[in-house]
Amino acid sequence: MTLSCILVYSYIALRIRLSGNSQMNFKYTAGLENKGLNLLNLILMKKKCLLLGLGIIAGTLTSHAQFSIGLEGGYNKNHIITNIGFRAFTKYEPLDGFNIGIPVKYDLNNWFAIQADPQYIQKSYKIVRSSYFEGINHTNKNSYIQLPVMAHFTFGGQKLKGFLNLGGYAGYWSSSRIKGTQINTFAKEYDLPDGTETPSILDGEPGYNYNEKFTFDSRRDRRIELGVLVGTGVSYQLKPRYEIFAEARYYRGLTDQQKNYMINQIPRYNDTYVIQVGCMYRLGK
Amino acid sequence: MKSTYLFLYKNMLQLILGICFVSALASCRKESPQINQPERYITGSFSEAFEAYWNGMNNNYIFWDTDPTNWDEIYRKYQPIFAKMNINDSTDVRKSYTYFKEMTSTLIDSHYALRINSKYVKDSATYISPSDARHQKSPDYHGNINPNFFYSTIPPKYLDKGYVKGVVNLSATDQFFAVAGKIKGNILYLHFNEFSLNVINDSPTPNNAQKALQYYFDQVKKPEGLKGIIIDVRSNGGGYLSDLDLLVGGLTDKEFPIGATRSKIGNGRLDYTPWIPATVHPGKDAKLFTAPIIVLADLNSVSMAEMTTMALKAMPGGNVKFVGERTWGGNGPLLANNDYYNSGQFKTGFLSLVYTSSTALRYVDGKLYEGIGFPPDIEVKYNKAALDAGTDPQLEKAISLIPQ
Repeated sequence: MTLSCILVYSYIALRIRLSGNSQMNFKYTAGLENKGLNLLNLILMKKKCLLLGLGIIAGTLTSHAQFSIGLEGGYNKNHIITNIGFRAFTKYEPLDGFNIGIPVKYDLNNWFAIQADPQYIQKSYKIVRSSYFEGINHTNKNSYIQLPVMAHFTFGGQKLKGFLNLGGYAGYWSSSRIKGTQINTFAKEYDLPDGTETPSILDGEPGYNYNEKFTFDSRRDRRIELGVLVGTGVSYQLKPRYEIFAEARYYRGLTDQQKNYMINQIPRYNDTYVIQVGCMYRLGK
Repeated sequence: MKSTYLFLYKNMLQLILGICFVSALASCRKESPQINQPERYITGSFSEAFEAYWNGMNNNYIFWDTDPTNWDEIYRKYQPIFAKMNINDSTDVRKSYTYFKEMTSTLIDSHYALRINSKYVKDSATYISPSDARHQKSPDYHGNINPNFFYSTIPPKYLDKGYVKGVVNLSATDQFFAVAGKIKGNILYLHFNEFSLNVINDSPTPNNAQKALQYYFDQVKKPEGLKGIIIDVRSNGGGYLSDLDLLVGGLTDKEFPIGATRSKIGNGRLDYTPWIPATVHPGKDAKLFTAPIIVLADLNSVSMAEMTTMALKAMPGGNVKFVGERTWGGNGPLLANNDYYNSGQFKTGFLSLVYTSSTALRYVDGKLYEGIGFPPDIEVKYNKAALDAGTDPQLEKAISLIPQ
């Protein structure tokens, strides 16, 4: 309803502005040649037709408009897309996380809707060392508050439908927790019998285990993330007002997790694969 | 369904444009630069020699968090200069020495040293040490106290009869010596020139340096009758970190923190590990020493000598005083292999060594003393005239602080 009001209002307002402009333009161009006048009138007519068309579309769409709100939750796997440079015995690994959101959908007709899912989502990753450094690792559990906005295309039957989501998102890296084990420079070595082999450093001395809140560094950390998304899934209408859905979605971060603070900086991007389920409730008549 | 197909058909152009737009957005990621290990550069030109060094520092240097040097600015300024130079031209090689000196002049790492691998730059000029250059400009600068002063002057003048001293060669260029004894019958004194205490202690070949250390440790194990201890690390260039538990851990019965260290977790300049507590562990059967402990250190107390001073000062009893001068300021622990900490020293084809700390040490008070030095409680400056005359004002001050 709101959208239709906005469109109708825009149409009327633009018509008023346009007619005002055309009068002014007419006075201004009164002394010009007929050729110029005809061209101007043609442009004005085209604009009028376009606005009329928009008005008709708005009217058509709003006649189908339905507003739905729901709840969704899911499991995700986040891959950090970067490289380790020349660091030896070190690799990045993806980590599991979860997301929970409140999807809001505005159906413009029976095959097209605009959807936004304000949500909490974890985008975590791990750095793991190997060989002599086996056991040394570092986990970043990153929490984001995110707003995906997408075009929602529906196809299929009356109750069981398929859908495709295409859109973008803006996220805020709200907090992070770091956990892991590192080499402790001041560790006291284990008292091992002579000749004992220590295949890894942690066989010879204890590492330092930590699980603490991450302190952001404003010189390095870019906390706003922008990206695109694509998702596909199925929905089923349980009752006239209730619909459940399952979706697989991919978020592709397009902004580096770090600000540009150094030359030869290796960027870090989030790639998040989500499987989620949810339920929508249709409001209004 | 029909309406969906109709929609797709009617809006084919918009859909194609939309897909192109989303695809274009999706490919909007920056390319990763190729970062090579500094040692792997062939160094056929000065341009490559510069890239190898600059990138090695960019990724391995541990103090970018606090260092005032603008490393990106260094790249912008010196990369074009090096690109114009010829690595096979002796004049250009000598010029490069000056440029490396300029580039590194404000680095706070006071272990830092560069060694150029070229026949055109010889002798003392091969080492570039920013901290050395910085200290030499200071009016208070002085060189090491002559080892003979500790070995030959102090014992007869200040120590009671029965003191023990000894020298041992650790390598062709490395000589260890230790002096231990008592002052006024109840103050235990120890001086040694480098931290190789475990090496000497565990040496299978008995020697007098080992006996001197044994004398000190035996006294500490039976501290009855001792009114104080003076540990003298003046002009001590440092050594093995494991000696900390042997020396300072021998004076405590409980583990205690002296601060925290951190290293690197990734290649980024600011990709640090969390701060990891740095602690002293008590020695086996060690007892808490409660009488006054005086640590003597000076400008030339570096690395482990500084860390030992800081550790002693962090002892929980509050019975330690530091007498002497502000230390050198190079207290970040280091290892030869940068794989351990993703930071620290490296080599390039042109530079046979870029000697730099592997980890940063933050003291228990939350401050970094790298590049600054650890300040004494009671300052007694180096006095060349007094030393030449065979007296030691710093030691005399230390003795005066131990009540009889």
